[in-house]
Amino acid sequence: MKQHPLCTDIEHGPTILDLPIDSGLKHEWAELQTRRHFLGRAGKVMGWAALASLGSGEALMGLARESQQRSAPLPSPETLRLPNFAPKAQRAIYLFMSGGPPQMDLFDYKPKLAALFDTDMPDSVRGAQRLTGMSSGQSRFPIAPSHWGFKQYGKQGAWISDLLPYTGKMADDIAIIRSTNTDAINHEPAIMLMNTGNMNTGKPCLGSWLSYGLGSMNNNLPTFMVMMTKKNEEENNQPTSSRLWSSGFLSSEHAGVSLRSAGDPVLYLNNPQGVDSAVRRKMLDAVSEINRQTYEELGDPETHSRIAQYEMAYRMQTSVPELTDLSKEPKTTWDLYGPEARVPGTFAYNCLMARRMAERGVRFTQIYKRGWDVHTHAVGLLPMLCGETDRGAYALVTDLKQRGLLDDTLVVWSGEFGRTVYSQGGITKEDYGRDHHPRCFTTWMAGGGTKPGITFGETDDFSYNVVKDSVPVRDFNATILHCLGIDHNKLTFKAQGLDQKLTGTTPAKVVDELLL
Amino acid sequence: MLVSAIVFLLLALPWTFAPDGQTHASWQQFLGRFHPLAVHLPIGLLLLVPVLEIGGRIRPSLREAAGFVLGCAAICSIGAVVLGILLAHGGGFAKEAVRGHMWAGLILTIAVITCTLLRSSWITGQSSFLYPVVLLAVLALTAWTGHQGGALTYGKTYLTEFAPTFIKQLGPHKTYPSVDPVSVYVTRIQPILDSNCITCHSGAKVKGGLQLDTYAHLMDGGSSDEDIVASHPEKSLLFTRITLPTDHPKLMPSEGKPPLTPKDIAWIRAWIQQGASPSSTTLVGMELKPAHTDDPIPQVGDYSGLTSQIEQIESTLGIKLDRVSARAADGLVLRTIGVSQKFSDADLAKLEPFAPYIVDAELGHTRVTDNSFAILAKMSHLRAIHLEETPIDGRNLKQLTSLSELRYLNLSSTKVTKQALNDITPLKTLQHIYTYNTPAAPVPVP
Ligand code: HEC
Repeated sequence: MKQHPLCTDIEHGPTILDLPIDSGLKHEWAELQTRRHFLGRAGKVMGWAALASLGSGEALMGLARESQQRSAPLPSPETLRLPNFAPKAQRAIYLFMSGGPPQMDLFDYKPKLAALFDTDMPDSVRGAQRLTGMSSGQSRFPIAPSHWGFKQYGKQGAWISDLLPYTGKMADDIAIIRSTNTDAINHEPAIMLMNTGNMNTGKPCLGSWLSYGLGSMNNNLPTFMVMMTKKNEEENNQPTSSRLWSSGFLSSEHAGVSLRSAGDPVLYLNNPQGVDSAVRRKMLDAVSEINRQTYEELGDPETHSRIAQYEMAYRMQTSVPELTDLSKEPKTTWDLYGPEARVPGTFAYNCLMARRMAERGVRFTQIYKRGWDVHTHAVGLLPMLCGETDRGAYALVTDLKQRGLLDDTLVVWSGEFGRTVYSQGGITKEDYGRDHHPRCFTTWMAGGGTKPGITFGETDDFSYNVVKDSVPVRDFNATILHCLGIDHNKLTFKAQGLDQKLTGTTPAKVVDELLL
Repeated sequence: MLVSAIVFLLLALPWTFAPDGQTHASWQQFLGRFHPLAVHLPIGLLLLVPVLEIGGRIRPSLREAAGFVLGCAAICSIGAVVLGILLAHGGGFAKEAVRGHMWAGLILTIAVITCTLLRSSWITGQSSFLYPVVLLAVLALTAWTGHQGGALTYGKTYLTEFAPTFIKQLGPHKTYPSVDPVSVYVTRIQPILDSNCITCHSGAKVKGGLQLDTYAHLMDGGSSDEDIVASHPEKSLLFTRITLPTDHPKLMPSEGKPPLTPKDIAWIRAWIQQGASPSSTTLVGMELKPAHTDDPIPQVGDYSGLTSQIEQIESTLGIKLDRVSARAADGLVLRTIGVSQKFSDADLAKLEPFAPYIVDAELGHTRVTDNSFAILAKMSHLRAIHLEETPIDGRNLKQLTSLSELRYLNLSSTKVTKQALNDITPLKTLQHIYTYNTPAAPVPVP
């Protein structure tokens, strides 16, 4: 570390940063070192900052420049040589059905179950399957056939539930995957696994990996944006948290920026009264300068992220109002998305926003819809949940398609797991509930180089086990990366001594059959 | 007597420790790995000998030293050659790969010993020419052996890789038929190597002297010349190395990376079997999935020389010229969305120097007008043009008919009319025209 000439307590000898070791290790060291140094040096930093503004700024700048040239570059799209091959998809939109939608009520049609109403699940099907604490105490596992009818849609003749009439209309645009499966049986680990490839927290999520690997297409908007759908009071809302769009060990620049579902989409983005854009700019310049000196002093790469975040926020002062201004949307938009789309925070509104973000070069948009955790009262809740999401998803895919954006936008619809065919708690003619089920669940993808109008994978007669073309989460994610031009084995980041990647250490494969 | 015993033992070594492609006792590898270091000592000493001999004409004391140095060189050579053989055997080198270097080293060592013996008779005035001749031969052999050894460690192309072309042309080099962008090689084989091998076999890392990033490198082979033997997968080292049992230390990709899938292996086998051609577009017995044969991406020229101009224009205009992929020949994407409110025809005109490399022009939401078509027409490799929500009305659309690779044209939310669209019907390659929310809509997508 370079000692500032004005600093009195000269440190002797080389530091870790001068050693001929792997730059990744130096990077990790710098991050750890920061915390220890911070308290000890904070006072001095302020002193320097003051000095800098008193005229020695030029000299400090010179030092900063010099040290920047010396320090090894962090991995970037440039050094990663990404995309590995010409991508079909430039961007992706992920509709996350948090809670675990019941596959056999929506996509995985099991007509034979009707005759088995309230009979016991054969043990041979369930095998030694682990159960959640919520139904492991049950004395019997009564089969609950779906309450709703199914129809065939599209040229492919896909079976889709009467709960999803709009999804049915786009059957020929989507690839339905009935054989997705996961290793986790509870929400938090399962949702982490879907998003980050690992059940434990601390790993970067898909959007952050994309931001890190592919970079931004529009410097005025975040590369990775997240929208929560408004809570519905009647739903069983599992909490979601910012862990789901965290950048883990990647620089925090790559974390998702979440738009609020009510009020200002981004808080404190507007200038306070009496502060105009020029003043704000001047302030930011000064702050950046101080930050640059902090970086010089502590070598903490997070300082760079902070500078980048301030700059992004500044640009978002103009780009976000433009993004959220729906006044110029033609009437056809409202006909397509429905009147709900006018209400910020609804799923339909978020879908419309996702289309606008896609047009404006946002690389990855994720919309969360919670409430699918139908342990009880599935018959009452599902029509509501489907009613809220069905049209929005259809409108989004259709709108992208008519505007010519579906060719290079991948749309993904998925939850974190499926639900059991047996009823949790009791079962009546009128109602049932379903517990978590990891062994199979249904997802779909559209556009971005995926094959439209197919149904892939099969489950047994109880929608319990995958019998054909299993797609574990890691393969699902490898396929998403593939659409974006990334070889999942090559998008890596060294952390904790391992070349970390989204698909984890178990070999994953791209599901070729889903691709054009 | 002693001398002939040493020579005999040396000659026995290649049989006792014959390299067989397997790794052996770790002590052998441990000692063996000092070989690349140890060889430099006898080389240095040997080079010193002629200097001392010539210098000795002026200062006789130097000549006395020459005898001593030569003796040292002989002893060191013996050491180096023993280490070398341990390395070849212990380190699991393939016989064919090291055979030449091994014998050259042995012969060299014996020649040095001979030289030492000859010198004593030369000093006394007998046989006046034999010693200088053998010494010269020793020096030539040193150079040759050293070069071979270098090629083993660093790869054959290490020296010439960055040489100016005229030097490259001097050397023996094989020329290969040119690679066809739609060939099986480009569409099926190279991608397998790209995703599994090039981390260790290209650029700065040339493991086993083998580069796997281009057809020529692949066919040149590595330290073994027989990495690919056309029509004979079983004789091709590359094929052997990818089909070893999973616990075999020589299996490629190495270091515990996942082995190739049976499908990939089948492709490589069929490709080698049927001639390892750079241009053939079919393989008997292998089904090219129709989906994957669809439009291989037309390749653009090399723009690496323009990197600094690209950076410059990106910062002056606030645009992005992103590469489509890590392969430069896939071209550039022009992104203007960050500055769409102010991006105009004049700005587009400034991109003319990069025109042949831009394959995707994303001009949606900008202020470009129908006058932009003249510049767009110069982007001869354009595959996609986005003009949604721009002020164009399509009156100059026919200028685009020269774009023979254009597949995608987005005119949504513009004022483009039906008549204007008729002008681009000659464009047969065009697969998608989007005219949502225009006077021309609805147009059935062709
Ligand atoms: C992790 C690094 C690594 C990867 C990945 C890798 N190799 Fe190697 N390869 C090596 C090393 C080290 C050697 C030299 C030592 C040896 O021969 O085992 C080598 C040697 C070879 C050789 C022998 C070259 C010669 O002429 O002697 C062949 C053939 C080869 N590799 C093929 C492949 C192929 C094909 C792949 C991809 C499927 C691959 N390698 C992937 C590290 C790697």
